[in-house]
Amino acid sequence: MDLPLLSAVFAAFSITMYVLLDGFDLGVGALLLLQPHEAARNHMVDSIAPTWDGNETWLIMTGVTLLAGFPLAYSILMPAFYVPLIVMLLALGLRGASFEFRPQGQRNRPSWDAVFSIGSIVAACMQGLILGGVIQGVTIRGDAFGGSVFDCLRPFPILCAGSVLFGYIVLGGCWLYLKTTEESRHFAERTLWFALPAFLMLFVSACLTAAFTQPEVRAAWKTHTVSLATIVGMMALAAIVLFASIGKRSELRPLVAAVSMVGLGIAGLAVLIFPDIIPFRLSLWKASASRLSHVFLLSGAVFVTPLVLAYSAFAYWVFRGKTPVKGWEA
Amino acid sequence: MNLDAAMLARVQFAFTVSFHIIFPTTSIGLAMFLTVVEGLWLKTRNPVYLQIYRFWLGIFAMAFGVGVVTGIVLSFEFGLGFAHFAQIAGPVIGPMIALEVLTSFFLEAGFLGIMLYGLRRVGPKLHFFATCMVALGTLLSASWILSANSWMQTPDGVAMQNGRLVVTDWLKVIVNPSWLYRLPHMLTAAYLTASFLVAGVGAFYLLRRKHTLFARKSVSIGMACAAILIAGQVFIGDILYSTMLKHQPSKMQAAEGFWERQSQSPAPYYWVIIPDQAHQRNRVALGIPYLGSIWLTHSLHGRVEGLKSTPHDRQPAMGMVFYGFRIMYGIAILMFAVAVASLWLRWHGGLFTTRWFLRSLVIMAPSGIVATLGGWYLAETGRQPWVIFGLLRTVDAVSPVPAGTLLSTLIAFIFVYAFFMTAFLIFVFRMIRRGPEAAPDHAEASASLKNALRLLESPTANVALGR
Repeated sequence: MDLPLLSAVFAAFSITMYVLLDGFDLGVGALLLLQPHEAARNHMVDSIAPTWDGNETWLIMTGVTLLAGFPLAYSILMPAFYVPLIVMLLALGLRGASFEFRPQGQRNRPSWDAVFSIGSIVAACMQGLILGGVIQGVTIRGDAFGGSVFDCLRPFPILCAGSVLFGYIVLGGCWLYLKTTEESRHFAERTLWFALPAFLMLFVSACLTAAFTQPEVRAAWKTHTVSLATIVGMMALAAIVLFASIGKRSELRPLVAAVSMVGLGIAGLAVLIFPDIIPFRLSLWKASASRLSHVFLLSGAVFVTPLVLAYSAFAYWVFRGKTPVKGWEA
Repeated sequence: MNLDAAMLARVQFAFTVSFHIIFPTTSIGLAMFLTVVEGLWLKTRNPVYLQIYRFWLGIFAMAFGVGVVTGIVLSFEFGLGFAHFAQIAGPVIGPMIALEVLTSFFLEAGFLGIMLYGLRRVGPKLHFFATCMVALGTLLSASWILSANSWMQTPDGVAMQNGRLVVTDWLKVIVNPSWLYRLPHMLTAAYLTASFLVAGVGAFYLLRRKHTLFARKSVSIGMACAAILIAGQVFIGDILYSTMLKHQPSKMQAAEGFWERQSQSPAPYYWVIIPDQAHQRNRVALGIPYLGSIWLTHSLHGRVEGLKSTPHDRQPAMGMVFYGFRIMYGIAILMFAVAVASLWLRWHGGLFTTRWFLRSLVIMAPSGIVATLGGWYLAETGRQPWVIFGLLRTVDAVSPVPAGTLLSTLIAFIFVYAFFMTAFLIFVFRMIRRGPEAAPDHAEASASLKNALRLLESPTANVALGR
């Protein structure tokens, strides 16, 4: 059996879970800045409060899977994205701390909400920078990172940062559309009307720029024309469904459409870079750890992940339906 | 000490990990305490247990939150600061941490939401189950991370192939020679930390004659646990000492403060030294005569091995190791004294009224955290100059990141973490000042934990829960 490939599939699975789940958390966080009413902000935070911690855990899962299965890739990528990673970690930290501290007093809550929101926005942008930097190409010398820590501060990664931020805002808007009522739902609707076009514009320009920044992207389009075109077509379809369902009765449909759209985007990326673990630089087999490391990692992944998914789903089920306007305890 | 990239990477890791460990230590201990208290409440239905639960859940939630966000940093810092370590040792510690994430982080996260917000939705029994799962999660997390760290202290079950470590036997990696002693040592430390926190807050209220029922139960439970735990800790610590003496003699040589291969006879037990590493001697050394021989060699005139027994380039810096150990050990002695006093006072019925004792409990409230930090400084600085003992030197493990970048992120970490600590302490002190019967000052506070549990006592909730 090709164990490194299976570990890579698990890494891809966790990063997809992370983007889809923490994506809407970060999107909701980013939107706090646009919501002037404190009661509505409380409602928004309530909608993600019981489950955000589990969502963020998929980020650790991804990082650690990389460390366990592909130590060479991990040891090149971490220094390469040192600056955006540290900024992202600090931003996620500030956001997580605001979660716990904002209920502690009425007086400072607007400030905590601002920290919460800016933390979410910065974390999303840093993830976009890393994505852009990876596609743009990491400089490797020997077995180590050989570029500058500021390599990712170029136009293409910045465009990616915008796409990721707005992608998350679209997910967050759809989540609020599903979970909230009245005022907040209208707010979600208004958000989607501007965030979805903004995301699509940024995403399309990022795709076009990618083809010029990274010749390997053009090459990949030539070899995988059919599958990539199919994925792009399905993404467009999901975007149309999403547009059409804003303001309509079905509250779940926008979220399903948005999740499909972003999920397809990730699938497209996978087609583009497979079988590399550092795109266009290092294949997953070359970066792989020895066999027993994969055996241990995968036995955990195969036997424990279903359990994790089961009780995570249970947690979502406990807090199903609309988030109560006055909080979970009212 | 020059600020090159290797030193800065170490300082940054030391700072972030030291800050982090404060919060898991507290939350591992409090999670177990909350489980016990909620269990007692379900069994006896005595409302004071629910009050204790509700009070400490608020503090637990904040400690847990800060622990999570500062912990995420660490899982990336292996590569951010120490890329070469990640490359060589990733195949060994990576899968262990992956299993930690799978078996414990997700478990904690999955049930934490229910623990904090779900009481009305799931009822008391399922809620108790959620509390148990969170406590189990903290226990599993400690087990995995202690296994990974113990492997770095006493590596086993691996072979070096082409400059990379390859696992030959997972059982030997996980159950490495020091894990079985270091894990109970750390867990006991966490539970002691919680015991002294709980007893300290109770004593604070007793001194002010407030919340008496709550305070008496807190002091009683806290000191009962502390008395049992400290006795166990002395025993575990003793076994661990001889284990480390066998596997890492350099660490224990540095920890005792002697330089000569064989110390003078009888050996004193040093409490204050100013070591001079370059000249391999102490500028100042103050201690209690004979005690070193008695404690360390169990004889009146025995000699203790000094740091010169280890070649100069394999020695840890004595000062950090020595003081880390003295802080931990000194506090352990104080804890033992307080625990003995508590037993005596309990026997004579003065546990809740003896003011000097209550005052000492207030002072000792954070003692577990300080002792744990001291212990980790002993463990980590004593392992130097190795990152994986005997296999990889710390200086060879660092990332190709410029010193200037490291310095600026270090400063950023210090500012953000200082902000976390300030906010955390302000809110904890405010909660303590308001007391367990605090009125709802933030009724709409959506994420408020107190509301969830207060409701349980209101008649409507009792109807809703079918009681």
